[in-house]
Formats: sequence, structure tokens, C-alpha cells
Amino acid sequence: MYDTIVIGAGLSGMMAAIGRAERGEKVLVLAKGYGATHWSTGCIDLLAGCDDPFHGITQLAAQRPHHPYALAGPTMIEGGIARLRAICEAAGYPLVGNLNRHMLLPTALGALRPTTFAPVTMIAGDARQLRDGRPTLIAGFAELRDFFPPLIAANLRAQGIAATAAQLAMPPVGRQRDFSPATLARLCEQPAFRASLGEQLAALARQGDYARIGLPAILGLKHATEVVRDLQNRAGALVFEIPTLPVSVPGMRLYQILEDEFLRLGGRIQLGGFVQRGESISDTLVAVFSEAAAREQRHAARRWVLATGGILGGGARATPEGYVRETALDLPLQAPAGRAGWFAPRFLNEEGHPIFQSGVRVDERLRPLDAAGRLVYDNVMVVGGALAGFDPIREGCLEGAAIATGWMAGMS
Amino acid sequence: MDHIELSLTQSLDHCIKCNICTSACPVAAVTDAFPGPKYVGPQAQRFRHAAQPVPDESVDYCSGCRVCNQVCPTGVRIAELNARARAQIVAERGMPLRNRIIARSGLVGRLSSGPHAPLVNFTLNFAPARWLIERVMGIHRHAPLPKASTYTFRSWFKRRKPTVNGKRPQVVYFHGCSTNYYEPRVGQAAIAVLEHLGFEVIVPPQRCCGLPLLSNGDFPAAQKQHEYNVTHLLPYARAGIPIVGTSTSCTLTLKEEAPELLGLHGDDIRAVAAGTYDIFEFLRDLYMQGRLRTDFRPIERAIPYHPPCQLRAHRIGRPVLDVLGLVPGLRLQESRAECCGIAGTYGIKREKYQIAMDVGQPLFQFVRASGQDLALCDSETCRWQISHATGVATRHPIEILAEAYGLQP
Ligand code: SF4
Ligand code: SF4
Ligand code: SF4
Repeated sequence: MYDTIVIGAGLSGMMAAIGRAERGEKVLVLAKGYGATHWSTGCIDLLAGCDDPFHGITQLAAQRPHHPYALAGPTMIEGGIARLRAICEAAGYPLVGNLNRHMLLPTALGALRPTTFAPVTMIAGDARQLRDGRPTLIAGFAELRDFFPPLIAANLRAQGIAATAAQLAMPPVGRQRDFSPATLARLCEQPAFRASLGEQLAALARQGDYARIGLPAILGLKHATEVVRDLQNRAGALVFEIPTLPVSVPGMRLYQILEDEFLRLGGRIQLGGFVQRGESISDTLVAVFSEAAAREQRHAARRWVLATGGILGGGARATPEGYVRETALDLPLQAPAGRAGWFAPRFLNEEGHPIFQSGVRVDERLRPLDAAGRLVYDNVMVVGGALAGFDPIREGCLEGAAIATGWMAGMS
Repeated sequence: MDHIELSLTQSLDHCIKCNICTSACPVAAVTDAFPGPKYVGPQAQRFRHAAQPVPDESVDYCSGCRVCNQVCPTGVRIAELNARARAQIVAERGMPLRNRIIARSGLVGRLSSGPHAPLVNFTLNFAPARWLIERVMGIHRHAPLPKASTYTFRSWFKRRKPTVNGKRPQVVYFHGCSTNYYEPRVGQAAIAVLEHLGFEVIVPPQRCCGLPLLSNGDFPAAQKQHEYNVTHLLPYARAGIPIVGTSTSCTLTLKEEAPELLGLHGDDIRAVAAGTYDIFEFLRDLYMQGRLRTDFRPIERAIPYHPPCQLRAHRIGRPVLDVLGLVPGLRLQESRAECCGIAGTYGIKREKYQIAMDVGQPLFQFVRASGQDLALCDSETCRWQISHATGVATRHPIEILAEAYGLQP
């Protein structure tokens, strides 16, 4: 029934799915649940530890020919990011940035984190602006757990930024109990809530003559750009969002925009469909089976994209015996031989831990290989965190590698 | 230990506390009475112990829609944890009269359908009566209660002459309470379609699937119903004759809800579960085997379609879109709303009516905004809720398929 089935609904899977659907294919995204978007920042990290990310990627690709960036190559990296930005732009939620330059954006701890593209709702928090000497206010709601403006402001001050903290009063909303980031984001889209928030911000801005105000990233789900613009107008100061602990509202927005685009292109999404095994004829994967009530569901397609993530995303699982298994198709994994090899002796090891580099080894067309380097499936491409040979979190390239390889699978 | 229990105990480890479920839960989004799946599920589970009193009752506000299960990135079966926790409360404290009545939809249907149905319907439309029912029974005065039919599906089926003769492949039809007592036309459409496809349809004795009992926490009574159905369906399941149903909640209950929640894993129970299909799932399988007739008349129109949570809980995708997508001219617009709110008997309860209406808002807006005078949904209670809230007529997708085949049920 389908030309392509993409397994996994994170950034890499959605980019691959959009790419294939744009070429007129019938595409299904089959996923266990939401992907890493919902617990990431909603920013696009390309590469940490360098000044010019694109240059850094080129160097890295030359040194490590099995790195996802090397496999994807500069055209797919640029092309994928350009497409993603165009989709977000069209949805009224531009991703701002430059391939050759990092931004430094505050985290919920007040650290400054390099990233390459950030939603327009965050960019007024770039450290280059924050360091201009004009006062910055960090504000939040006591009701939102794990977001402490005094802590953020103190840490920013320690880094030479004139930041002060304030606590906002929760506007009357008829609810008192749980305020998750998502609940607050929905409230921000209600005019009365926003007006009250705006009034408080205006009063604070006048008092402290603040040039800009940092708030938790809860400023709307569907209309974040307008919410921020509206608050800026009311407050008479720039407003920027700071990513919160999960669930990540900016991540939810990004997913939603990609889902909208994919559905607009005629794609189908099935969540809650945990792929458990495949069915093949020699090196062709003909079907997969997803867990379902009473019996498995069989899905047939001509071509496949595996985008299930790595150890963190749940695409690979450790067994009690000390092996690492690929969960969907039981593909051979490149991983440390035994449990003893998983971790480096020191927790904060410079080189990271070997287990986080485990994943599926692939050929130059992203097709899975076994330990001896033989092709496993001719019609499967592996993308994103499921790939071996890189540590996306430590290298700061989670989103970049996902977009580049996802787009490659979408285009080839 | 069965796998729900296993996931009960392991959920403390599996849950990464990402809050994705709580952000997606449609009930937590609209009320303070319910803190959300993470809290009442994997979190509260730490404090539940068979030998100790239930620590927190807010789990009763879980509607059982399973949106949380669907989005959880680590596969925690939150809705099942909640259902079992509710059953523990009921086992400890007993069930209110109201829940005992609405949980017995088979009985209620039997008492209200038939030639006296107009009288029953009149009473249920009569405001003072509804006020009284709300006071005495806790059923909200505006709750969408179905209209009883003047004849039952079974009486119609018995009287009719099958349109096919000779040796044909057989299929069993599970009609469920709503088709039998309230909407026989759904069953009539199903029979017409199945016979058009060349099947001989068998309708064995059957009782309510027991889902309302399960969702109201009366597990022992639910088990009796399920065992009755298994006894009567087993010979067909063993003979490889598929059991199909138009009520997606009934088929889900036969497949999974009853066995899993009740912890029944015998071979007979499993055989019936494995032989049961949602009707569109069955039709989609036929299509994939090249056995579905496609002699459709074009239907030139757009219709909003809501895949109800019970259908989504089958985890089989959108068979209605797959099959009705074959009808020339027909454009189904899929609702992406999480839930209609009703969740079986949840939304008719006095204390939950408003929550259910709030939960359903995005869906109601979607249906209204479509500008169409008809919406489709595979679940009866959801259809009643949608019609109640929007005034738009609702039908089961099988009725449209019958129309596309040019059949007059
Ligand atoms: S979505 Fe799953 S893992 Fe996340 S908090 Fe809920 S139960 Fe835990
Ligand atoms: S089953 Fe539905 S109502 Fe219950 S916790 Fe899950 S999402 Fe919320
Ligand atoms: S789920 Fe089906 S059998 Fe059960 S009460 Fe509803 S209609 Fe009746």
C-alpha cells in the first residue's frame, strides 16, 4: 500500500518522510510514540566545540568518514536545513541563524549554550545582545517547576550579563493545580491570560528599565510568534524564551509544524505502533510487524527508513545479558562487545562513553551493514540517532545529523 | 505475573518522567480534578499496594482514552495502570448505583428498546425527568443518551431472508449492545456489505462485551460477560471463521481490554481475541489480499471523520481511511482532535459531563468548521456525543460503504 514507510517520528524521520512525500510517494510514518523533539530544546544544534559550525562539520567529515555528516555530505546538510527553515517560515515560526556562526542562548540553569538555529522567539536572548550592558530581566512563574529566575539571573551575572530576576503572579485562570509547560503554553494563547501577563511585564520593565525579558519557553503552542510579538508590544521590551525541562514546548511546536507539512503532502502517521520485526526475501525487506491489540499488524512497502533513534531515543535497548539490540528490525549493531566496555572509567570523561556511539553501521547510501561489512537490506536506509559512530549529545549535533541524514533518505 | 503487572512494576524504571503524556492528556488539559497520567500512573503506582488502602482517588477522572499510551516514548501502559487502580478502588469501596446501571448497557438496552421505545425516548427527552435522573442517579441532565430503537437488530436479523445462497465463506458478526438496541441500521449495513462481498453471516448468541463494566471498575461482572461471549464465539474462532464487529469498542474489548485488564490468558480467550476484527480492519485485509470488491458508485462529497480513541487503541492505523479512500469522489477529512470526551460512560456522569464537553471542544469545532451536515465515527458513544454537541448528524463508516456499493440495507 505504501511506497515508503518511515519508522520513527523524530526530526530525522519526519524530514525523510516529507522528502519522500514531496516526490509524490505514498508515505507512512510508523512510530512507537513521539520522538526526541518533545524533550529537546526546539533549536537546531549543528556542532559544539567550534566557532564556525559549517567549517567544523567539513573538518569533522574529513577526519571521520563514517560520521553521519560525512555520509550525508554538505549538499544534504545545507539542503535539509534550508527545507526545514522554509517549512517553519511558512508556518509563521522562523528558525533564525547562520550556518557559519553560533548563537549562545541561556539555558534554564543560566549557562550559555551554543546552537546554530533557534526559533525567532528565542533569539533576543543571544549572549552577544545580552552583553550590551543594558539590563535584562529573567522572570517566571513559581507554579512552573524547575525554572528558577533567581538562579538563572545569578549565573548570567557571573558571566558578565546584567540580569535580575522577578517572579510573576499567575493570572486568574480558574486552575490551581498542575502547570506543566504545555498547560501554560495553551493559556498563553488565551487573550485574557496574555493581557495580564503583558501588564505585569510592562510594570516590571518600567521599574527596572529593562531592555529585554527572558521567560520560560511556554509562550504559546500554535501561535508562539504572535504571542511573543504581542508581549513585546505590551511590555515595551524585547522578549525571549528560555527552554524548560521536558516537556519541551518549542519541541512540540517543531513537531507539530513538521506533522502539518507531512499531512498536507498527503502522508499518514500512525503513533503507538511499535515495530517489532521485519519480513524479508533475501536482502529485500518486504514488510514489518507492529505491536497491536490481539495480534501484530503487518505493513508492506517498497522502501524503508529506520529513524528510531539510538540508546537515548529507544531505537537500541540493552538486554539484561549485556548486549545492545536494535528494537525494530534486529539489525546488527556496532556496539562495545560487553557491558564492561560501555562506560569510560570517569563519569565526565572527555571522550564520552563508548555505549553512546553504538548504532547501525551503514554504507555510503545509508543502507545497513553487518559486522563483516556485508549489506543487510538493499531497500532500507538508516538515519539520525540510530546510526553508529557518533555521540550526538556530546558532539552537539543531534538535530544537525538528524536533518542531514533524514533529508538524504528523503531525497535519494 | 502478566505483562500489564510486569509493566506496572517496571514502569517505575521505564518511565523517564518526560511529561509527554501529561502534556497530551485531554482530561488534564481541562480540569484540576485530574493531575495527569504521569502522576496517577507510573508515579502513584509507587504508593499503591494490594494490602493497603488506595492513596489517591483522582485516578477515577481518567477517561481511559489512552492518548497517553499512544504518545509515551518508552511504552508505559499508563491507561491500563489507571484502569486497574480504579478497579482496586471499586473493590474496596463498592460501586455507586449510577455506575452499576450505566455499566449494564445490555440490560438498559433490553429494557428500553422494542415497541415501547417511543415512551422511553419521550421520558428521556422530558426535562423534569432528566432533572430527577440527575438528582437520583448522577447522570447529567444534558448527557447524550441514545434513542432506543423500536425493533432490535437481532429480531430484524431473524426475520430476514439472507441475500446469498449456497456454500459461501462464513463470517461471524458481533453487533454489541448499541447496534442491537439503539442503532440496528449499523448492523443492517454491515450485513448488507458482508453479503455483497460473498460471505454468509452468522450472528451467534452474545452479551454485552463488558467494556462499561470494565471502565467503571466492576471487574467480576465484566468477567462473567466475557466468559459467556468466549463460550459462544470459540467454536467459530477455532474453525478459523473471523469474528467482525462494527462497534470498535466491542471488538477492542474482545481482543484485548477484557483479557488484559482481567488477567485472563487461557487458550480459549486468546483464540477468540486473535479471531476478532474491527470491520474495517477486516475489509482492509480483504483489500490487501485482492478480495475486496471495488464496484463503487462515486460519492462526490467531503465528510469529516473522527477516529475514536477506542479505534486508535487497536493500534491498527486508520482502516476506515484506507478502505473508504477507495471510493471515487469521497474525501474524508480526518479529525486530529485527541478525543470527543465521552469515553463510553464517562461523559454522561454528572461530575464529568462538563469535563467531557471541554475535552471535546477541538473536535466539535473541527466538525462545525467543516460545514458538512454529516460526520463519521466508528464508535457509537462518540457519535452521540458529536451529534449532541454540534447538532451534526453522525453515522458509522460502514453505512457510507454500503451506500457506495449501492446497497439498501
Ligand atoms: S510519557 Fe511515558 S515516560 Fe514520559 S512521563 Fe509519561 S509515562 Fe513516563
Ligand atoms: S487514558 Fe486518557 S484520560 Fe486517562 S490518563 Fe491517559 S490520556 Fe489521560
Ligand atoms: S462496547 Fe459494545 S457491547 Fe460493550 S456496551 Fe458498548 S456497545 Fe455494548
